[in-house]
Amino acid sequence: MHDWGFVAAGYVLTGVTLLSYRWRLAVRVNRAHRLVSALTGRPRSEPRR
Amino acid sequence: MKLFNSLLTRLGSRGAQRVLGWATLSSLAGTAVLALLVVPPDATQGDVQRLMYVHVPAAWLAFMSFGVVFLASIAYLRTGRTQWDRIGVASAEIGVQFCALTLVLGSLWGQPVWGAWWTWDPRLTTTAVLLLIYVGYLALRRVADSPTRRARWSAVVGIVGFVDVPIVHMSVVWWRSLHQEATVLRPGAPTIAGSMLGTLLLAVLAFTLAYTYLMVVRLRVGRVEDRAATTILSTPTRRAQAPSRGAAVLAARRSHHA
Repeated sequence: MHDWGFVAAGYVLTGVTLLSYRWRLAVRVNRAHRLVSALTGRPRSEPRR
Repeated sequence: MKLFNSLLTRLGSRGAQRVLGWATLSSLAGTAVLALLVVPPDATQGDVQRLMYVHVPAAWLAFMSFGVVFLASIAYLRTGRTQWDRIGVASAEIGVQFCALTLVLGSLWGQPVWGAWWTWDPRLTTTAVLLLIYVGYLALRRVADSPTRRARWSAVVGIVGFVDVPIVHMSVVWWRSLHQEATVLRPGAPTIAGSMLGTLLLAVLAFTLAYTYLMVVRLRVGRVEDRAATTILSTPTRRAQAPSRGAAVLAARRSHHA
């Protein structure tokens, strides 16, 4: 049972790392799109993801 | 390398990216079910050995990511094309995630098996050095003052830094180590049970899909951020009037790293 704690922590951490990195990429791309829209006055060319 | 570039470009379409995302998620979930519920526990270590199905793929994918940085760096220095620099930094960023994950997962595995979270073992130490090299690669991109110089400097680090990858792999052979020797990537047949090897290879495939998916998304981020930086530079009036905090931060960030 003690071992399962380490195993669960490892698998949860793997999932959180991959998902949080994907989320940060989504934030960065949205921020850049918003900036281009604000500067050019045109709506973003790609749909929000 | 040209084939790799063309593959990433093809996968960059919206539909392909979505399919790749779902394929990644389902393969990771399927591998987790196999690794946690189906494969038998190790005869000596018990259930904690199930960490192998995430620790080893994370390490291999870190090596592969840094291998891509190495090849993209060579391609950049030979051709001077920005696309290679974008591929290099994207792969380095993802490789750092996998390398950090490898160290933390190894630590979680080491505590119940070795009785220590960390030890200055050759394998652990060379892996920590590998992580520092590529964190340094990313940090260097923030200090270089021109895009060309940034790309050239980081390409040099991307080539020289890769020297540590074979050292990490061979560290358990060259020096006395607590870490076990290679069981799959070794001369001769793998020293691992068939069901465990099958699950491990599936896990590697799932992590490779995850790497490919993250590369496709990260390259898109690079393209959009470059477009934003170009837009900022080409709209001096608006910039001079009232740059928002976000615009100022992004402009500063884009001028220092990709």
